[in-house]
Amino acid sequence: MAQDPILRWGGDAEGGAPFMEASPEDPAKLAGFDVEVAELIALELGRTPQFVQVAFAQLDQSAIRGDFDIGLCGIEDTPARQSMVAASVPYYEFREAITVRVVDKDRFKSLADLHGRRIATLGGTIAYEILLKAEAEHGITAVSYDDDVHPYSDLLLGRVDAVLLDNVLADRSMRRNTGLFTQPEAVEVGHYVVITGPSNLELRDRVDEILRSAMRDGRLEAIFRKWSVWNDDQPGLYARVLAAASDVVAERPAAARPSRTEMTLQYLPSLFEAALITLALSCLSMALAVSLGVTIATGRVYGGPLTRAVLTGYVELMRGTPVLLQLFVIYYGLASMVRLPAFVAAFLGLGLNYAAYESEIYRSALEAVPKGQLEASRILGFSRMQVLRLIRGPQAFRLALAPMTNDFVALLKDSSLVSVLTVVELTKRTQIFAANIGSWVIPGILCAALYLAMSLPLGHVARRLEMRWKAPTSS
Amino acid sequence: MEGADVVMSTAAPVETVLEIRALRLNRGSREVLRGVDLEVRRSEMVALMGLSGSGKTTILRAIAGLDAYAEGSIRAGKVGMVFQFHYLFEHLSALANVWLAPVHVLGVSRADAEARAQSLLDQIGVGHRAQALPRELSGGEAQRVAIARALAVDPPLLLLDEPTASLDPARQNELGRALRELSGQGRTLLFTSHDDDFVRDYATRVVVLAEGRVVEEGDPRQVLTQPKHEATRQLLQVEPAKRRTKR
Repeated sequence: MAQDPILRWGGDAEGGAPFMEASPEDPAKLAGFDVEVAELIALELGRTPQFVQVAFAQLDQSAIRGDFDIGLCGIEDTPARQSMVAASVPYYEFREAITVRVVDKDRFKSLADLHGRRIATLGGTIAYEILLKAEAEHGITAVSYDDDVHPYSDLLLGRVDAVLLDNVLADRSMRRNTGLFTQPEAVEVGHYVVITGPSNLELRDRVDEILRSAMRDGRLEAIFRKWSVWNDDQPGLYARVLAAASDVVAERPAAARPSRTEMTLQYLPSLFEAALITLALSCLSMALAVSLGVTIATGRVYGGPLTRAVLTGYVELMRGTPVLLQLFVIYYGLASMVRLPAFVAAFLGLGLNYAAYESEIYRSALEAVPKGQLEASRILGFSRMQVLRLIRGPQAFRLALAPMTNDFVALLKDSSLVSVLTVVELTKRTQIFAANIGSWVIPGILCAALYLAMSLPLGHVARRLEMRWKAPTSS
Repeated sequence: MEGADVVMSTAAPVETVLEIRALRLNRGSREVLRGVDLEVRRSEMVALMGLSGSGKTTILRAIAGLDAYAEGSIRAGKVGMVFQFHYLFEHLSALANVWLAPVHVLGVSRADAEARAQSLLDQIGVGHRAQALPRELSGGEAQRVAIARALAVDPPLLLLDEPTASLDPARQNELGRALRELSGQGRTLLFTSHDDDFVRDYATRVVVLAEGRVVEEGDPRQVLTQPKHEATRQLLQVEPAKRRTKR
């Protein structure tokens, strides 16, 4: 069979050094130990390596879809992964390490010491699973991040009290930040593996052979030494892999895992909980957006030139820049001045952004109230404030109701953006659920059903109110 | 705005309720009113007539303080105004349209204001529609509610812009009788109209405008049957439907 001369290998370039990062000499090229391992495998296969960018959380799904031949990016060996994709022998052993602020190094040595505290990690990892278990066992709160940099910066800021992650990441963060200390005791030991599509066992076996031979002749060691991640744990791993290779193979695929139905049932309560967070966040943000929007609209319709200019500037700024950027600025950018809790930052970010859109709706609604009614009010002797409160405002509100409902539904969905601030709402929870059971079908359907369950009744109520009020016309 | 001071000379039997002197008003570069003089006494029912663009509605708006004028003076007390398109508050019932200003502007108690509003609506023949919303009212009903709303704050002078425009002849007569009754109670009425039958039957005086000036005035039966001015003759030749003003 003719072999493809290209070996597509997948990873997430956001992973950073020492796994993979843009090369300092040539940002178009990647450098890192996973890059070198991938190149070594390609060389041995006689194929040319070609990098495929895949988001870290989507690596398994991508392997199943066949987006790449092999994937490696600090990919952890887990039973769930073994059941979805084909995984190689382990090529690196890491420890799940607890990192704390230096001042806490004698007080927080284990997960049990962290009772009642918030512990950060990267979502979709073994560390996250450990923390979820520890929530019940030790009464900690697990905080999931989408990247491995912000857990440590938030640790320094005091938003969390510890980070649990691979020692490779912990070591890197200690080099970047002073004031952090990583406990030497491992919470658990794990391994990095190379993954291939579930049916591509032939390629997986070839990768196993290549890794074993690179363990024997020291080429793998040389790569890890170069990236300063070689340590005393690795010779032991190599010895076990080389000796018991056949056992490791025999173990696959992983034995009885809970069925998808069971896992779905287990996940349901947390999905409902996440839906409540989505709903609470959306309602609070909308309340802020409405009250601020009314103020802005009133200022733009009644205010002087300066007030109008300032408010117009605000509206254009908030509408003209991505809400994601605004969330980042509020949560991370302002962190040196105000350390907002994630939920508060999310509420403020969404509320301030949507206030700009609401204000435009109210402004046009205020201007749509027939001028004749305002003149009639003036002749009757109402003050400007009274006209706004008794005549113009109530009618504008009725006109604004439909577009407002529309915005609320949009907000309900946009609230999923706040997962970048570690708020686990419905979409994020679904993503975690999907990653764990290795399928988007059931989580996707459940998630969609929950969003609809929230938005449809709202639309219904709005339509009934509209029917009752029926937007006034000018004649 | 100037010229909004109240004239109160209770001693005189023919009290002047409105006095306009040499009124000039421009819209952009266009001169809409070019020196209008007009005096209206208590209990009069004065009709303003004229072709579209002659300045009828503008005079009402200037009296109500809605349009600023360039020169001249207007002396009037509190006025009420009924717009051609009524402009009822669409979100409130007919009754609430009437009691809103007494409660919030005059500080009358809600109960008293509601009772008074109901009696005003009864008096003008739409008491049974008190709970209806403006969009549920016919044109004639909406107009009566608008009249009741204007009367609720007790203005001595009531301005009506094209009150007959949307009424069939039967309704026009009902309106005419209602207005005559108001005038009998001491109210003064100044209204614009294009309908010479209505003016002839109900107005006590007609004032004909052309190109921003008063060209002829007097008893409607006289003026409308034996017009002296060319503009009045032209006005009477045009079909009423085509004389309808737009605002």
